[in-house]
Amino acid sequence: MKVFNKIVLGSALVIGGSLAFQSCLNLDEQVYSEVLSENFRPGERDIPAIIAPVYGSLRALMMGWQGHFDVQEESADVIVTPARPNGWYDGGTYVRMHQHTWTAIQWQPTNLWQSSYRSITTANRVIAQIEDDQISIENGREAVIAELKAVRAFAYYLLLDNHGNVPVVTDFRDVSLPQQSSRAELYDFVISEIEAAMPDLSQDARNTYGQMNYWVAKTLLAKIYLNAEVYTGTPQWQKVIEVCDEIIAGGAYQLDNVYAEVFHWENQNNEEIIFAVPYDEIFGQGNTVHMKTLDPLSRFVYNMQAGPWGGNCAVPQFIDTYDEEDGRLYDTWIMGPQFHANTGEMVISYTKEVPSIAATTSNQGYRIGKYQIKQGATGSLDNDFPFFRYADVLMMKAEALLRLGNGTQAAEIVSEVRARAFANTNPAKATVTAAQLEGNSRYQYGYQNLDGSIDLDTGVIPFGGFLDELGWEFAAEAHRRQDLIRFGVFQTKSWFNHRPHPQAQDKIIFPIPEAELNNNPNLTQNSSY
Amino acid sequence: MENFTKLKHVVAMGIILILQFGVKISHASTMENESLILGERLGVTASEQQDRTVRGTVYSTEDGLTLPGVSVVLKGTTRGTATDIDGGFTLSVPDEGGTLIFSFVGFETQELNITNQSVFEIQLKPDVTSMNEVVVVGYGTMRKGDVTSSIGGVKEEDFVKGAVRDAAQLIQGKVAGLRVTTPSGDPAAGTQINLRGINSINGTNQPLILIDGIPGDMNTVAPEDIESIDVLKDGSAAAIYGTRATGGVILITTRKNDQGRNTVNYNNYVSVQTIQRRPNLLTGDDYRRLIAEEGIPYTDYGGNTDWIGEMLQTPVSQNHNLTLFGGNSTTNFTGSINYRNWDGIFLRTGQERLTIRADLNHSMFDDKLRANVQVINRVFKSERGGADGYAFRQAMIRNPTDRVRDDQGNWQERDGYFYENPISRIYEYTSQSRFNEMRMSGSLNYTPVDNLDLKLLVSNVQSNDLFGGATTFNHTDTWLNNRNSTASRSTSAHNENLVELTGNYNKSIGKNFFTVLGGYSWQDAVFEGFNASNWNFPTDLYTWNNLGAGAALQNGQASMGSNKNQWQLAGFFGRFTYSYDDKYLFMASVRREGSSRFGVNNQWGTFPAASVGWRISNEPFLKNVSNIEDIKLRAGYGVTGTIAGNPYLSQISYNFNRDQGAYVGGQWVQGFIPTRNFNPDLRWETKIEYNLGVDFSLFKDRLSGSIDFYRRDINDLLYNFPVPTPPYLFGSMMLNAGSMQNDGMEVLLNFTPISKAKFVWNSNFTYSTNRNKLIDLSNDVFDVSNEFFNAGGTGEPIQDYTHRVQVGGPIGQFFVLKSVGVNEDGLWLIENRNGEVVPITEAVQEDRQFYGNGIPRHIVGFNNSFTYGRVDVEVNFRGAFGHDILNFQRMFYENPKNIAYNMLNTAYDPVYGQRLDSDLVYVSHYIESGDYLKLDNLTVGYSFPGRGVMKNARVYASGLNLFILTKYQGIDPEGVSVLGFSPGNDERDKYPTTRTFTLGLNISF
Repeated sequence: MKVFNKIVLGSALVIGGSLAFQSCLNLDEQVYSEVLSENFRPGERDIPAIIAPVYGSLRALMMGWQGHFDVQEESADVIVTPARPNGWYDGGTYVRMHQHTWTAIQWQPTNLWQSSYRSITTANRVIAQIEDDQISIENGREAVIAELKAVRAFAYYLLLDNHGNVPVVTDFRDVSLPQQSSRAELYDFVISEIEAAMPDLSQDARNTYGQMNYWVAKTLLAKIYLNAEVYTGTPQWQKVIEVCDEIIAGGAYQLDNVYAEVFHWENQNNEEIIFAVPYDEIFGQGNTVHMKTLDPLSRFVYNMQAGPWGGNCAVPQFIDTYDEEDGRLYDTWIMGPQFHANTGEMVISYTKEVPSIAATTSNQGYRIGKYQIKQGATGSLDNDFPFFRYADVLMMKAEALLRLGNGTQAAEIVSEVRARAFANTNPAKATVTAAQLEGNSRYQYGYQNLDGSIDLDTGVIPFGGFLDELGWEFAAEAHRRQDLIRFGVFQTKSWFNHRPHPQAQDKIIFPIPEAELNNNPNLTQNSSY
Repeated sequence: MENFTKLKHVVAMGIILILQFGVKISHASTMENESLILGERLGVTASEQQDRTVRGTVYSTEDGLTLPGVSVVLKGTTRGTATDIDGGFTLSVPDEGGTLIFSFVGFETQELNITNQSVFEIQLKPDVTSMNEVVVVGYGTMRKGDVTSSIGGVKEEDFVKGAVRDAAQLIQGKVAGLRVTTPSGDPAAGTQINLRGINSINGTNQPLILIDGIPGDMNTVAPEDIESIDVLKDGSAAAIYGTRATGGVILITTRKNDQGRNTVNYNNYVSVQTIQRRPNLLTGDDYRRLIAEEGIPYTDYGGNTDWIGEMLQTPVSQNHNLTLFGGNSTTNFTGSINYRNWDGIFLRTGQERLTIRADLNHSMFDDKLRANVQVINRVFKSERGGADGYAFRQAMIRNPTDRVRDDQGNWQERDGYFYENPISRIYEYTSQSRFNEMRMSGSLNYTPVDNLDLKLLVSNVQSNDLFGGATTFNHTDTWLNNRNSTASRSTSAHNENLVELTGNYNKSIGKNFFTVLGGYSWQDAVFEGFNASNWNFPTDLYTWNNLGAGAALQNGQASMGSNKNQWQLAGFFGRFTYSYDDKYLFMASVRREGSSRFGVNNQWGTFPAASVGWRISNEPFLKNVSNIEDIKLRAGYGVTGTIAGNPYLSQISYNFNRDQGAYVGGQWVQGFIPTRNFNPDLRWETKIEYNLGVDFSLFKDRLSGSIDFYRRDINDLLYNFPVPTPPYLFGSMMLNAGSMQNDGMEVLLNFTPISKAKFVWNSNFTYSTNRNKLIDLSNDVFDVSNEFFNAGGTGEPIQDYTHRVQVGGPIGQFFVLKSVGVNEDGLWLIENRNGEVVPITEAVQEDRQFYGNGIPRHIVGFNNSFTYGRVDVEVNFRGAFGHDILNFQRMFYENPKNIAYNMLNTAYDPVYGQRLDSDLVYVSHYIESGDYLKLDNLTVGYSFPGRGVMKNARVYASGLNLFILTKYQGIDPEGVSVLGFSPGNDERDKYPTTRTFTLGLNISF
C-alpha cells in the first residue's frame, strides 16, 4: 500500500511537473501593442504613413516649444521674451538668446539640431527600406525617393543656416560615426542634392501641398543662393534671379489679395503658399505660437479651450519702424484693449512699451497675432506655417536685383508686394523708390535703457530700407535672424537689451550641441564656442 | 517573543520531519551512539521489557501552548518518542523509572526524573540564543547559526506598532541597510524602500517581495497578518532569485496555524493625524502691513484666510483585524479579515481596504503528503476630491486676504497664471478608484523517502483596477480652459502565474551534514489596459458614468487608448550546503534564468553564489569561554541581475503615431515610425556582490548582532544611452553600458541592558552607511560618451534641472549655481568656474557646480522596548545623516519678487544682509542639510491577564513621527524621495507627511 502510494504520488508529481515544464520554457516575446517588423509588409497603400514622419518632425521643429521659430526670432530684433510676473526667466535662457550669449548647451539650437536630424534619419531609413525592397513600390518609386531626398536636403539647409559645420549622413545602414563637413561643403552638398532630385519631383503644385515638389525645391535653391555669400563667401545674386524667374514664370503661385488670409486658420492650399508646415488642432498638433505669446486673460477674447502662457512680444523699436497706415502692423500684432468674446468687457490691454528683458508686467508688449486665432481655439492652432510663400520669391528676386544695381526694377517688385498692405488705407504709400530701398533703415538701433531712452547707434546699414521691407512683410515668420546676418546687422547693432557680442561674427552660427560633441569624437566645435 | 516561538514551531515541525540528522547533531551530547529515535521502530524495542506507561503533555513556557514534535527519550537508552500535535506523548518506561530527556529545536533541553507519577506536565523554556532563531531563506528555512549570508529578520513582536501603512513600515529602522521612508502623507501612498544604495539606473531598485514564496508587494497582506519578515541582503543569499534580486529579497511569512490551536484574535485601533509641520506664510494682516509700511502693491481683498487650514482636516482612521486559527494536527486553517478605513489630512482624501485571507493545511499518509491552499482577496477603494499636491501649491500661493467663496456663495476665482482656488478644486473634482486582487495558491509537499522532500507550488494572481474621475461645471477647468465638465475612466487587468517545483534532500554522515536543493520555476504575466477621457458634457451629473455624452472625443480632442503586454520568466536553480562539526559551513547556489524581455542573443543568464562560514566559537579554544555563546565569521559572493522595466525593449517594432503623422497626399495620415532604436542584444544588468560579516552572541545572549561589509559591482548597466543622432534615429537608446559600485557597512546590535524578573529592557541598534560611485557610462560600441546626465526638474517658473549624475561621482549630487551672497541690487552673487564672485546675470551654465548630495550617508535606528510587569513601552528613534535637501518651498516662496503669489513669512527677510530682488532661480542657497534624528515611534501598552475564554488582552497607545531634531526648514526631512536620480528634492507640490496618534486593542480567545 505504501509503495503503491509512493508510486502514485511520485508519478503524479512528475507528470504534473513535466506538464508545467513543457509549456513553460517558451520565452518568445508576445507583442501586442506594437507592430513587429517581421509581421508587417508595407505596400503602396502605406507610403503616405511611411513618409509622413519625415514631414511630421518639422511641426515640432518649426512652431513647437523652443523650436526654429524661437531660434530665428528671439536672437533677432523683432521679438523678445522678457521675464514676467508669472516667470519667463527660466534660468536666463531667453536672455541668452537675446544677448547672443548662448553656449553649446543652449537648448533651442540643440533642439533644432535634433529635430533636423530626426527628419534626415527618417528619410535615410525610408530610402534604405525602399532601396532594399523592404517596402515595395511598383509605381513612382523614383518620385518617392526624390521627394525624400529633397526633404532631407531641406533639413540639411536648416543645419547649413544655423550650425554651419555639420556631419552629412545619407546611408541609414552605415552606423559608423560620421565625419564633419564644412559649411561650404554642406552648401555644395545641399545644392547638388536638390538639383539631383529636381527632375523626379512633381510639378503639380496643388496636390502636393505641405510636401516637397519641384517649386519648393526651386524656392529652397533660391534661398540658399540668396545667402550664398554668408555660407561660402561668394554671392550668387544672378542665380537667385534666374531661379526666381523660373518660379514666377511657372505661374503655380500668386500673391493673395488679402495679406491676413495667408496666415488664416483655413490657410491650407492658399495660392501664395509654396511650402507650408501644415498644422491641425487635432491631427497635426504643435503650433503653439499663440500659447507662448498671449496673456492668460486673452483666452476670454477667443473663447479658448486652453490657458495661454503669456511670454514673448514685439520689440518696441521694431514696432516704431512701421508706417501707421501699413495694414501689416495690425495683421501681425495684437495691440490695445482686448474684449471678452461673450460679455464685451475689456479683459486686458496690450501696450507697446517693454521696459526691460528683466522685468515686464503681464500686459506689456504687442503680441503675435499673425496666425489668426479662431474662436474656441485649443492649445494647438489650426494655422499652417508658411515656410516659403510667393512674396518671398518676389522679395528674393528684388533683393538680388537691388544688390546687382538694378534698384528701379527691385522697387517695382517691392511696391507690388506692398500694394495689398496699403490697399485699404493709403494706396499711394505702397510705392517705394530705389533710393528708399538703398538708404538707411528706419529701425532706431541702440540699447534701450530702463527709462525707455535709447543709446542711438546711427551707423548706416547698406540697403537698410530693403531690410525694413523684409521686416514688415515677414515679421514673425522665422526669417529675421537670417536676414539680419545677411545685412550685417546681427553682428554689429544693438537693439532692446542686446549689444553686439564680443565675438559677434562667430555668433552667426550656433555651436555644435555639447551632447553631440561628446557622442561623436569626429566633431569639432565651431569657432569661439 | 510569543510569535517568534510560533515560527520556531513551524520550522521545527519541518525540521523534525525532514532534517532528522540535523536535530541529532545539535543534540549529540545527549544522544550519543544512538541511531534513529523517531517512529514505530522504537515502540518495538520498548515492548520487549517489563514496563509501565507514562504519558504527559509538553508546553512552552512562553505562551503556554502545547508543543508538538518534541523528542522524548529515556536517558541512556534508545527508547523514545515524539509528542503528537497536541503536545502529548505516551512512552513505556522500565518499572524502576529513569530520566526522560525532552529536546526540541529552539528550546532548552530538559531532563525529568520519573517518580511514581505516570502523568506529567512538562514546561520547555525557549532557548533564547539568537543563533537558534530560524530564518527564512530562498526556497526554505535555515537555523540562523547555519546561515553564511547576510540576512536580516524581524519577528512580529518586534514590528513597529501603531497605524502602519504597509509591511515595509513594520520593519522601518529595524534592519540595518534597509531604508524605509514614507515620502507622502497620503493614506493611499506606499513606502519607499531601498537596500544597500542605488543599484540600477533604468531597472528597478525595488526588492523582490515574496509572500509565502509568491511574488507580491508590501500591501498584499495586511500588516496585522504577518508573522515575520526576512530580508536577504547580500548577493550570496539573493542570487538564487536571479534577475529579480538585485534590490534584495524580502520574504514575508504570514501567520500560520501549524499547531492545530483554536484561537480567535482581534485587533483594533483608531488613529488621528496632524500635519508634520505647517509652513508659515504671510497672512492677510501681513499683506496689509506690507502695503501700508512698504508700499508693496499687494491686492487687499479685505479678508484673512488661512488657505492651508482650509484644506486640512484632522482625520480619524480605523483598523480592524480578526484572525481565526482552528483545526487539528492533520487539518487546520487560518482565516483573517482585515478592514481598514483611513482618512488623510487633506480634505476628501482617504482609502478603504478589505483584505481577507484563508489558509488551509492538510496532511495525510503519515504526514508524508502535505497540502496547502491559500487564498488572499483584497479590495482597495477610495473616493476622493481634488486635494493633491497641486491644490497644496495653490493653498500656499493664494492671496491670504481673499476668501473661499464670494457673496453669492460661488467659489471666489481670480485671474492669474496657474492660480486657482484650491478649495474649489477639492470639491469640484471627484474620483473613485477600486483595486481588486485575488491570489490563489496551492502546494503539495511529498516525502517519498526520509530526508527527501518534493514540493509543487502553483499560484495565480489576478488583479484589476477601475478608475473614474470627473470635474463639475464649477471646476476651475471650465473657467480656465472652457471645458465644461471633464471625465475620464481607465481600467487595467493583470494576470500572473507561477509554477515551482523543488526538491530538498539532506543527509548527515558523522560530523558531516549536507543539504541539496534543486528546482525549477516558471512565471508569466499579462497586463492589459484601457483608458478614455472626454469633456464638454451637456450636464455634469453623469460624472464618468456616461462618457459618450461628452463632445470632445467625438471632435477628436479627447483621447482613448489601450495596450497589452506580456512577459515570461523561467529559471532552474540549485543549492548545496555543507557543514562539518557545526564549525565549518559552506553554501553554493546557482540559478539559470531566461526572460522573454531580452533579445534572443541574450535570453539566458547564469547567477552563481557561494559563501563560507566559520563558527569560531565552536572551536575548542573558545568552546568553554564563558560569555561567548557564538561567533561566526562569514564571507559570501553572489551574482544577481536586474531586468529593464518595460517589455519589448529589444524588439524591432513600429507604431503608427499621430504626433509623427503629417499632411501627405492631401490628407492627414499617421506616421509609421520605429518605436525605438533597435537593440536585439539587450540583456540584464549584472550585480556582483562580496559580503564579509560576523554574527555574534555574547554574555548569555545579552548582546548579539552582526556586522557586515559589502561591495557591489554593477556591470552592464541598462542605460538610455545618448547616441549620435546621425546616424541613429533617436538620440538615445537602451543599452547595456557602464558600471557602478556601491560599498558599505551595516551594524546590528541587540542588547538587553536590564533583564530582571519584573523589568526587562531590550534594545536594538542598527547602523548603515553606503558609498555609491558611477564608474563608467560606456560600452564597447560607444567608447566616447557623455560623462554625465542631468536629472530632476524644478518645474515652472524656474524651469531648470537640479541634479547631475557624473561618471566618477555618486548618484544624487545637486548641480547648481553656488550662491555666496547678494549684492546691493538684490541680485544673487555666484561663485563662477574661475572662483570669482559675479552677479547672477553674468553667470553662465558652465558655472554650475556640484553641491551636496540628497542620499544620506549614514542611517541609524535605535529601538527600545521596556517591559515592567504588565506594562510595556516601546521607543524607537530613527535618523539619517550626511545628506542635503533642496527645499523647493523656500526656492519658490522665500523670494519677494513675485507678489502675484503668496510667500513664506520669511520672504522679505534679508539674505546675506540684503533683501532679494532676483527672479526665482535655483541656487545653492536653497540646499540645506537634511540631517535629522526622529522619535519615530512611542508605544505604551498594558496587558491584562487571561480570564475565562479570553486568553489575553492588551491595550496600547502609540504615536508615529512624534518629534524631530533637525535644522532642515521644510516640512519633514524624511518626507522626501530618496530614489531615482534626483533624490533630496523636497518638491513644492506634495502631500505633507503627518504625525499619527493611535489607540489600539488586541484580544485573543
